[in-house]
Amino acid sequence: MRRDSLYSAARVVIVTLALGGVAIALLPGYWIYLATAVLIAAVSLMSLGVVEGRTGMISLCQLSFAGVGAWTVGYLNVAQAPGGLPVWILIGGLAAVPFGVAIGLPALRLRGINLAIVTLGFASAFDAILAATTFPGQTQFLQVPRPDVFDSDAGYFLFVLITFALIAGGLQLIAGSRLGASWLAIRHSERATAAHGVGIPSAKLSAFAMSAFVAGIAGGMLAGYLGTLVADNFTMFGSLSLFAVATMTGAESAEGAVIGGLLVTLFPEILRRLALPQDIGNVMFAVGAVQALSSGETASQALRRLFGKLWRHRAIEIAPLQPASLAPRRDHGEAAALTVRALTVRYGAVVALDNVDFDVPARTVIGLIGPNGAGKSTFIDAVTGFLPRYEGGVSLCGRALEGMDAHARARAGVRRTWQTNRIAPNLTVGAYLDLAAGGLTQRQLEAALAWIGCPDARVRVASVDAGARRLLDVAGVVAARPALVLLDEPAAGQSYDEALRLAKRIAEIPEIFGSAVLLVDHDMDLVRAACAAVTVLDFGKVIASGQTAKVLEMPLVKTAYLGVVDSEAA
Amino acid sequence: MSALVVSDLVVNRAGLPVVRGASLSVEPASVSVLLGANGAGKTTLLEALSGVTPQAGGRITLGGEAIEALRPGARARRGLAHVEQGRTVFRTLTTDENLRAARRDADTGAAYALFPELEKRRGVRAGLLSGGEQQMLVIARALLTRPKAILIDEMSAGLAPVVVGRLMAAVRKLADDGLAVLLVEQFAALALGIGDRAYVLRRGQIVYEGACPALARAPELLHRLYLGDHAA
Amino acid sequence: MGAYFTAAVAGLAAGGAYALLGVCAVFTYRLVAVVNFVGAAIGAAGAFAFSMLVERGAPIGLAAVFGVAVGAVVGVGVGAVMTRWFAESPASTKAAVAVALLVGLAAIGLRVTGGQHPHEFPELLGGSAFRLAGVEVTNASLATLALAFLFTIASTLFLNRSYVGLQLRALAERPVAAELIGVPVQALSLWVWGVNGAATALALILIAPQRAPNFLTLSLLVVPALAAALIGVFRNFWATLAGGIAIGVMEGLASVIPHLGEFRAAVPFVVILAVLLWSQRGARWDEAR
Repeated sequence: MRRDSLYSAARVVIVTLALGGVAIALLPGYWIYLATAVLIAAVSLMSLGVVEGRTGMISLCQLSFAGVGAWTVGYLNVAQAPGGLPVWILIGGLAAVPFGVAIGLPALRLRGINLAIVTLGFASAFDAILAATTFPGQTQFLQVPRPDVFDSDAGYFLFVLITFALIAGGLQLIAGSRLGASWLAIRHSERATAAHGVGIPSAKLSAFAMSAFVAGIAGGMLAGYLGTLVADNFTMFGSLSLFAVATMTGAESAEGAVIGGLLVTLFPEILRRLALPQDIGNVMFAVGAVQALSSGETASQALRRLFGKLWRHRAIEIAPLQPASLAPRRDHGEAAALTVRALTVRYGAVVALDNVDFDVPARTVIGLIGPNGAGKSTFIDAVTGFLPRYEGGVSLCGRALEGMDAHARARAGVRRTWQTNRIAPNLTVGAYLDLAAGGLTQRQLEAALAWIGCPDARVRVASVDAGARRLLDVAGVVAARPALVLLDEPAAGQSYDEALRLAKRIAEIPEIFGSAVLLVDHDMDLVRAACAAVTVLDFGKVIASGQTAKVLEMPLVKTAYLGVVDSEAA
Repeated sequence: MSALVVSDLVVNRAGLPVVRGASLSVEPASVSVLLGANGAGKTTLLEALSGVTPQAGGRITLGGEAIEALRPGARARRGLAHVEQGRTVFRTLTTDENLRAARRDADTGAAYALFPELEKRRGVRAGLLSGGEQQMLVIARALLTRPKAILIDEMSAGLAPVVVGRLMAAVRKLADDGLAVLLVEQFAALALGIGDRAYVLRRGQIVYEGACPALARAPELLHRLYLGDHAA
Repeated sequence: MGAYFTAAVAGLAAGGAYALLGVCAVFTYRLVAVVNFVGAAIGAAGAFAFSMLVERGAPIGLAAVFGVAVGAVVGVGVGAVMTRWFAESPASTKAAVAVALLVGLAAIGLRVTGGQHPHEFPELLGGSAFRLAGVEVTNASLATLALAFLFTIASTLFLNRSYVGLQLRALAERPVAAELIGVPVQALSLWVWGVNGAATALALILIAPQRAPNFLTLSLLVVPALAAALIGVFRNFWATLAGGIAIGVMEGLASVIPHLGEFRAAVPFVVILAVLLWSQRGARWDEAR
């Protein structure tokens, strides 16, 4: 995984520098000047790409962060600080980060909308502050000097190009890491990401802080570009417009950011030449953004899809099985993997779980079945920490889990799958597995995929069919080798043969990975084939427990599933 | 003529095939019972009939008219009522308001005649009603749209047998008065007691079709269809 | 002390506007589940239609009615976009759409009304009502405050007493179940957007003369509106009303405190930050996902 992302990051840098080199060679002076503006706009768009395109958070104050960067550069210039423009720009980016943290922190634990509102508020406050100050040095006619080497238009273009390439490459590197994968996963489902042991607020904060940093850098570069700045460069409306462009072009990729930069810079230019009003540009961006939101596909994604049709299709392969490469089985000791005592859950007057006592011994596969409404999902939520409160005790290998929230419990060793699909479609299969299981080598990841029958690690999840995604979900939790794996209806929608094949795999989990398994499903074929023992819940109470075949024959269980048996007719 | 005819219905959910070519029919003035263990696809099937979930294939005919291309609101106006599982009362509205939401000039008298228990709770917020009362309320509310056919999804879930018996009797009466009822249940016994025709759904396909009294007399068959080996 | 009181009273005018806009935002959110970033822009369309009509010699009352109607129509237009393509989208997508529509509408508005310089707005309600603490309380500010109260009372009464209000409450609670019993979901949603547009237009017609605004500055009144709505947790009309008035008063006070005067426009932001800091104690993540 790391090698792959290094390659793609290097590719981004090289392609960017090459294209830029071509531009310098071919374009006349004025167009080089414009191209510089395109790249600076692209950098600010990339900052939005990190926070909105990747992590799915709406931020409406990017230009304000840029303003912080720009003003910092201005102050450093007036103060004649050492280092010159490159160092000042870096400090400017860093200066924007505390603002990002201060604004983002309160909003990150709440619904995403709150971040949109607070960033809009910050943008309007920043507008007010800027309106009351002048750019440092403006009154003394002190311009921000460019570095000597890059003083000409072409020179500064090169400077901005290098910065853009470094940022794009760096973001690509992060995108290939576990942190980057967690951002994409958070966008799709915060709960599922927490269930992999990722701390959600800190992951979101890192994305927001990164975006403030990149935006600050863009602002600093703008200061060097124009020499002096005005409040008008960083207005709230500008941030909103930038948001629309980023939504339309998909600024999380370098090409999306560049397309956006071209739109933002060239549109006004073209309109000016055609003597058309400038506002048309913003209307186009708005329409483009609405279109991208309704179709679910940004401009850069559409382009990639169209170009993808030109390349030869890489067939989705199932990797050949290499059992020797699987990560070694983890020993979790002899203590019962899961011990549940007197678990009670109430929703108002309804008692969803009533004094449930339950054990899952180490290295066994236990089934949990029961009719609809029996409390199985509630049980899983309680054990994995997705319920705000419950009564009773849950212990993992003898260690009490009370007081630990979902991501802490996941780190402690209890992982779960989900009934509905919660795998981010923009991840590759390999990246998802790395996010879920972390700390495995490439070969170990591929071995896990092969074991369960998932496609190749390089395939994007979006191209994988829903049934295979269910298997991927299982592979992810199992490859992490936790003490306890909770599988929530993994066989949904599968045929008889597929279910039996899955059952065989599930039965192997304790032996191969060392985990105990709690399987919740309605599919009796699966339960029969995979589970040594089964517990039956009905109306929140345990009504039967024991060997699978025996329990399924008990009249009590038949009654629970089929309703009150008319004893005369039986 | 059948009130409701379903032919080769295919429904996918998040890309997974949940209903794989199911066919059934409901006659006027009769109760068809759709049984099956959970996860079999019963709720998804009903949602495709009422339009809540889009279908991937098949035909749905109501009173001879094809309705698969219509939005849920249009199907409701054509006479197809759907009582969803989970007792979807409007919790912050009172019992009376729940009824009037379906029809401004609702003949609440008829509703309270069918379920007298609701009358003394008419001013109570629906969220505070008991499970049985809520179930009666959603059925009464659906009836106010004067449907030709009604789909009822697991009304017995979470209710005491006595209450379920009361509800079953009410449903039988509705059928006797001319309504076509498709009753989805996980708990077979009580439903088979009032039904005319039985279907069993397993893995998205109809694996059994017959008369209710016959299936009620063969619990072993039913058990095998629910919990037993698929191959058998 | 006297100066502060005077400043506070002066802030009441703006506070009434924020309160009214905030109540409209809560109304929209409760009924169609959208955080209405584009609400003030819709109202601005109506307000400027009013102004331009008066400039062409129309009687002021008629122009006001026309302006309110334009606000309603633009509101329905936005609602049509929302219900046609985004009826089943998650809240964050709808919010993004609202922001995009704000950009587009503000751009069109600026073009049609001649750009970002301040406009002289005709006064619908001119003149002074009375003097309080040495400050002239205009008829317009009084009317805005009164309108805010009226809209709050009317919304509550309407939702709880009328038939359409009943259907709206059902729709807001369970859209699918409502559609299944024949509630005209799409038509009602458009109705909500139209009413919101009309109310916002009237509010902006009343307060615009005091602010010499352009289309953009009117549209950006959405910020204090949302701040007020946050104080009401996007549920409670009366808390939102009080919050909006409080924000106006605080802005007024800030303008007389030395060194803070220039930054009074930052007051809504400080309020938002404070409210969020308060509500996030105990939350873990976005429960909706």
